[in-house]
Amino acid sequence: MALLWLVQGTGAVAEPLNLSPIQFAQWDVDKARHLASRAGFGASAEELAALVRLGPKAAVNAFLTSRPPEELAQFDHSGIFDAGLDPFPASRPATTRLAKQTGSALGITVKPGGNRPLQPVVDKFFYWLRASRLETDRVAYWWANRMLRQPYPLTEKMALFWHGHFAANEDKVRDYRKMLKQLELFQRAGLGSFRELLIGVAQDPAMLVFLDAGVNTKDSPNENFAREVMELFTMGVGNYSETDVREAARAFTGWSVDDLAFFVDPQLHDDASKQFLGSVGAFDGVDIIDLILQQPVASEFIAAKIYRFFVHTELSDAGATQLGQLLRQKNYHIGDFLQVLLLSEEFYRHRGGRIKGPVELVVSTYKQLGLERIPGVPDFNQATQGIGQRLLHPPTVAGWSHGRSWITPSLLYERGNFVLDVLFPDMNFVPPDRFPVYTPEVAKVQERLRQGMSISAATRPTAVQQGGVMAQSNALADRDEDFNTRIGSMRGWQMAIERVKPILRAPARVRLSDEVLAAGLKTPEEVVAYLHNKYFSVELAPEVLQDLARSLAADLAGEDIPAARSYLESPLRRLLHKMLSLPDYQLG
Amino acid sequence: MLSLALAPNALAFTSPSVRENPGARKPILVALELSGGNDGLNTVVPFRNDDYYRLRPTLGIPAKDLLPLDAEFGFNPGLVGLQSLWRDEQLAIVHGCGYPQPSYSHFTSMAYWHTGAPNRGSEFGWLGRVADSLAHQRRDNMLVNIGAHQSLAVNSKIHTPVVFDDPNKFQRDRWMSVPESSANNASGRGFDARSNRAYLHAIHDSAQASSSLIRSAWQAYAADADYGVAPFDLPKVAACIDAGLPTQLYHVSVRNNAFDTHVQQPALHRRLLSYVSDAVTAFVRDLDAKGRADEVVVLLYSEFGRRPAENANQGTDHGTANVMMLAGKPIRGGHYGKPMDLSALGPEDNPVHGVDFRRVYASLIDGWLRSSSQAVLGDGFSGFDFFRI
Repeated sequence: MALLWLVQGTGAVAEPLNLSPIQFAQWDVDKARHLASRAGFGASAEELAALVRLGPKAAVNAFLTSRPPEELAQFDHSGIFDAGLDPFPASRPATTRLAKQTGSALGITVKPGGNRPLQPVVDKFFYWLRASRLETDRVAYWWANRMLRQPYPLTEKMALFWHGHFAANEDKVRDYRKMLKQLELFQRAGLGSFRELLIGVAQDPAMLVFLDAGVNTKDSPNENFAREVMELFTMGVGNYSETDVREAARAFTGWSVDDLAFFVDPQLHDDASKQFLGSVGAFDGVDIIDLILQQPVASEFIAAKIYRFFVHTELSDAGATQLGQLLRQKNYHIGDFLQVLLLSEEFYRHRGGRIKGPVELVVSTYKQLGLERIPGVPDFNQATQGIGQRLLHPPTVAGWSHGRSWITPSLLYERGNFVLDVLFPDMNFVPPDRFPVYTPEVAKVQERLRQGMSISAATRPTAVQQGGVMAQSNALADRDEDFNTRIGSMRGWQMAIERVKPILRAPARVRLSDEVLAAGLKTPEEVVAYLHNKYFSVELAPEVLQDLARSLAADLAGEDIPAARSYLESPLRRLLHKMLSLPDYQLG
Repeated sequence: MLSLALAPNALAFTSPSVRENPGARKPILVALELSGGNDGLNTVVPFRNDDYYRLRPTLGIPAKDLLPLDAEFGFNPGLVGLQSLWRDEQLAIVHGCGYPQPSYSHFTSMAYWHTGAPNRGSEFGWLGRVADSLAHQRRDNMLVNIGAHQSLAVNSKIHTPVVFDDPNKFQRDRWMSVPESSANNASGRGFDARSNRAYLHAIHDSAQASSSLIRSAWQAYAADADYGVAPFDLPKVAACIDAGLPTQLYHVSVRNNAFDTHVQQPALHRRLLSYVSDAVTAFVRDLDAKGRADEVVVLLYSEFGRRPAENANQGTDHGTANVMMLAGKPIRGGHYGKPMDLSALGPEDNPVHGVDFRRVYASLIDGWLRSSSQAVLGDGFSGFDFFRI
C-alpha cells in the first residue's frame, strides 16, 4: 500500500497546499454540501440550509462539536455474555482439551459419563462464536444509526477513519464487547490528542487480542504488535529497523488484558534497557509511543492519511511535510488539525473527485432519501459487505484500501443493486441474523435430526450423503466420540438466536413523489435536474440528463408531473435507481 | 474466442466447439495466494534435519505424524490431497524461494511478490504485465481475479481485469426490462484519463463486457470433485475454464492474512493447509474429469515464510525464504530449488534464500505461457524445467 502511494506521489505537482481559510463571502450551498459529504455522510435539506446560514467557520465547528442523539448514546446490549466465557480459548480443539484436562471449560462442567460428555462444552463454544458475531452486527447497526441520525456526525466519520487505521476484526477478536469498547474509544477520543488515542489503542483489549499482544512476555516478546504500531499506525515502512521492532516488542512485554481491563504484569515486563530509534533507556510502551511521536515522519504519516481520507488521494511529498508541520504545531490534536483542513481553500478544491467508500455510499444515500433510521431490509451489514466494507470486519490490520480499490466491475454493479434493493425491497429477503444464510449446512443438520436420523447420519455432510469421494477437511471434521462439532454448530445457532435481540426488519419508507410534488416540479426535465443537483457531486452531460428525462416521460406516458401524482412513485423510483447506478454517482 | 454479443445461453453452443479444437487451447495459469505468510517449514517438513527439531521443540512435527514424500521430507498431516498429487508426479516443490533484503511487512512483501519487483515496486502487477505482453491491444477477459478487491498482481497497463467475488451477484439487477441509459455510455467521455471518473467509466464498460459471460459459466458449472470445506474460489475458476473463457491468467487467494500464525499455530495451520490441499487437489481432479487438466498450472505462493525458531506462544513470527509449489498435470513433479540451510541462518535468525522467486515466475512466463520473462520482469532469470510439454 505504501508502495502505491509512492507511485502516486511521484506524479503529483509539488505546489504548496493552500491552507488559508475560505472567506464568508465565498460560502455557498455547494461548499456546504461538500463539507457535509466529507466531514459527515451528507446533509438533509434542513441540515444543509442550516450549514449555509452558519457560514464556513461555524459550520465546521458544528461538525467538530456534534454529539449523537440521546437514545443512541449507548448501545443496547442483548445480554449474551456469561461469566466463564472469558478468557475464550483459541480454538475448538483448545476448548475441548481444556475441558478434558480440567473438567470444565467456558463455565460448563464436563458430564460425568454418558453419550458425548463434552457436547455441552462444544455447544457453548459455538454459541459464543455465533452470538458474538450476531451481536457485533447489532453494534454495526447502532453505529450506522449514529452516522445517519446525528446532524453533523464528524465523530462517527472520524471513528470510521480510525477503525480503518487501527483495524481489528471480530472474526479474530471473537468478543463483541471488546469491539464495542474499541469503537467507543474512537467515538470518544477520535477528535482529541493522537497521543492519547494511540496509547488508548495500545492498551485496548480488542487490539491487544487482535495483534496477539496479550501473550507478549519478557521471555518471548511478540513482534506482531510492535511492528504494526510502527508500520501501520505511526510511521510507515522504511523509517525503523528490525532492531527497533524487537526493542519495541520488549518495551510492550507484560501489557495484557483481563477480560475488558488492561493491565501490566510486572513479572512479564522486560524493564531492562532498550535501544530504540537512537535513544537508550529502560523504556516501556508509553515511552516508545512518545519516542515515535517525536519523529517528524510520524506526524507526516498521520496527517497525510487524514488528508487522503477527507480531501484527495494524491498528495506530494512536500504537501505531506507541510501537513506534518501543521499537525505538530497543533500538538497532535486531531480536531484542531481538522479545523484548519476543513476550512482551507485546498479542501474546497476537490469536490467530486473522490470515490465514496461503501459505508459512506450507503449512509449518505439513506440520508438523501430522508430516512429516519437504517432500514432492516436490505440488511445493512450484508449490503455494505456486498460492496466491500463490513463494519467491525476489516480485511486485515491494514484496514481497507481506499479510492479505486473500492471499485471492481462486480462491486460497481453491486452498488447499483444496493439502490434497487432499497427502492424496491426484495420480498425474498431472508434475515441473516435468524437464518444461517452463509452456513446453510447447519439448517440441514437440524432438518435431518428432526426427521429422526441418528446423530452420526444427520451430521454427515450433504455432499457426502449424495455420494462421492470426500475431501480430507470433510472426512476429518472432528469425529470425536466425546462430542460432535456439527451438532455443536447447530445447537450454538439455536442458543444464539434465543438470546441475541432481533434486528427490526422494516424496509425503507421512501416517498419520492411527495418530495417532488412539494418541490413544485412540473416536468420530467425539472425532476431530473432536481435529483441531479441533490444526489450528484459532478455534472452529468446534457444528453445524459435528456435521456433520463425522456425515460421518465415514457414511463409516465406524459410530461405533466402534477397530473401523474397518483401513479408517480414507481416511475420516480425507477428513474432514481437508474441515476444512482451511474458510475458518476460513486464520486463525492 | 467468444463474442461479447452472444446471449448467455449461446455459451452452451460455443464450449463444445472449443473442446473439439484442442489446438486452439492456450496454457492457463492460476495463481493462489496464501496471505499472511505461510509457514513453509511446517508445510514441507525436513524430518531428517536435527536443526529443525532444535529450532522447533514444540512446533516441530514428529516424523511419525508426517505424510511421507521421500527419505528427506514429509508433508504436514493436513496435506493428504497434495500428497496424492505428489505421488502422481503432478506437484513441484520449489525450496528456498525469496529475494534479497527481505521485508518483514506483510503488505510490502506481498507487493513485491505481486509486482515481481522486490525493493523497487511497480504500478503494474506481474500477471498484468504478462497480459500486456500476450496482447498489446486492449482485450476483454485477459485476466480474471476472484476476490473482494482487485489484487495488485493483476494491475495491467492495457487490460481491465475482470474482478468479481460472487458470480451470482455479478449482474446489473433491473426493474423488469428497463434498458440501460445509452447516452451515458456514448457521452460519458472526455474526462481527464487519469481521473477517478474516467476510471469508473472504464470499469463500468468492463463489467458490461464480462458479467453475463461469468454468470452463465457459473450457472452451467457442476463440480466433479469434492473441494472440501473452503474451496477458495477455485470452483469459480474451473467454471470459467470449463465454459471456454479465453482467459489465461487467473488470480485467487486465501484471504485476510489467514496464514499469519503468531500464536496457537499447530491446529490452525493444519486446518488451513487441509483446506488449501483439498481445494487444489479437487481443482486438478475436476479439470481432469472435464478434459481440461492438461492446460492448467496452479501456482501457490505466500509473501514470506516464517522464522525457523518458534516463539513462546505456540506460533512463529515473520520470516524470509519459503517453499513455492506448482500443481497440475503439465507439471513434472519433484523437488526444485535449494532447501533452506537451518544451520546457517542469516540476519534476524532467518534463512537466506537460495532461489529468487522471480526464477519461478520466469519459468512460468517462458516455459508455460510462452511469453518473454525478459520483457515482463526486466531482468534475465534462469528458469526451471517444470513442464512435461
